[in-house]
Amino acid sequence: MSFPHKCKRTHRGLITVTFATIAITLAGCTHQSATQSTTLYERLGGQGTIDTVVENLLYRIADDPEVVVFFANTNIDLFAESLASQLCDVSDGPCHYEGPPMDRAHQHMGLTDAHFNRLVEHLDAAMQAEGIALGARNELLGRLAPMYTDVMRLQ
Amino acid sequence: MMLFQSMFSPSSSPFRHFFFSCLAVCLALASMPSYAGSRIVSTGGVSAIEGAAGGGLSPWAVLASTASEQEIGVTAAATHAWVDDYRLTVTGASLNVYDRIEVSVARQTLDLDTLGGELGQDIYGAKVRLLGDVLYHPWGIWSVGMQHKRLVDGTIPTALGADKTSGTDMYLSASKLLFSAVAGRNVLFNATLRNTNANQGGLLGFGGDQSSRSWMAEGSVGVFITPQWVVGAEYRQKPDNLSVAKEDDWQSLYSAYFFNKHLSLTGAWLNLGDIAGLPSQRGGYLSLQAAF
Repeated sequence: MSFPHKCKRTHRGLITVTFATIAITLAGCTHQSATQSTTLYERLGGQGTIDTVVENLLYRIADDPEVVVFFANTNIDLFAESLASQLCDVSDGPCHYEGPPMDRAHQHMGLTDAHFNRLVEHLDAAMQAEGIALGARNELLGRLAPMYTDVMRLQ
Repeated sequence: MMLFQSMFSPSSSPFRHFFFSCLAVCLALASMPSYAGSRIVSTGGVSAIEGAAGGGLSPWAVLASTASEQEIGVTAAATHAWVDDYRLTVTGASLNVYDRIEVSVARQTLDLDTLGGELGQDIYGAKVRLLGDVLYHPWGIWSVGMQHKRLVDGTIPTALGADKTSGTDMYLSASKLLFSAVAGRNVLFNATLRNTNANQGGLLGFGGDQSSRSWMAEGSVGVFITPQWVVGAEYRQKPDNLSVAKEDDWQSLYSAYFFNKHLSLTGAWLNLGDIAGLPSQRGGYLSLQAAF
């Protein structure tokens, strides 16, 4: 008698997991079809918001002694412009990033995971401060995350 | 209500003492600016019941605390679970060296409220990150780990038919965060494959008359409602080695909140099935972790 009982309960557990998976998948599909009409660039708030996010980020970098050292020989105006065009490009905006590739841009800087993580935290805080919604923040971070491999390639 | 009844009952006063001293220390430490690892908040998971970084029931591939490649992190955790006929208390600590190696210790005490008496075991764990990162690597993070478990007193498990009073689990685990996967929220996936001879995680001894070692699958899904709050479900397949004490798979629905990089609180609803002859064990779970 105990074995059918166990099977029934395991079965029920599996059904629960299956339903949860289906629910999550459906939610994902609904979300995708709902947001396909607007680009991430638009949901971020367009070029105006991207520019203020970059400016906000630069202030955070300037206040962080562990990160600011990497910008000692950087033309900040040029950097801000380049980063804004990259964020615009990555978020499907009307820009084409023409700066250096991520591995060359960061080569031999001696960057560690700690520096990379710190910049991610500053960027997310800057986006939050400029009023960008969590969904758009997550999506932009998700599009930037694969750049980790390139940034770290030539350290 | 059940939690408060059990917390304030005389039999749990050592736990109560530990819980509140831990809470006081955590709050004091969390309120002052102090050293934290550089990894993003919540990427160290919480403390699973066997001491390793993970969810509640199952270890994840991530390493404890937020220590990064040139940093060292430590965690301490107190956990209490209460189901119909049993109460489990776990105290544990872990050390993360350079986000490469995690070592952990945990002491589990299971109060047999209905049967009388208690069972206890010590768990010494180690986990090595093989490759990857839960956020940045396309394959996520992959780790292997072991957990050596020793029963404090093997009398009851041996009487139930367990072969041994100590045993070692080996596991392979993978974790991956998918950004903006559900309604703009990030979703965390974990899968663990465990080779074990433990009965009820080891509290009922190791091996038995029905089988000895076997491979078990464990998994979890969690949705980050906010970057600091994850809600999800966990599933842990279990062996069934003892003919006199049928064993079921474990399931949980959990919610973990990370106040900051130093303090997290996890609550869960548990469905642990039959344990040592008593059917359908369901109940709650609370775990507090401090990390530095």
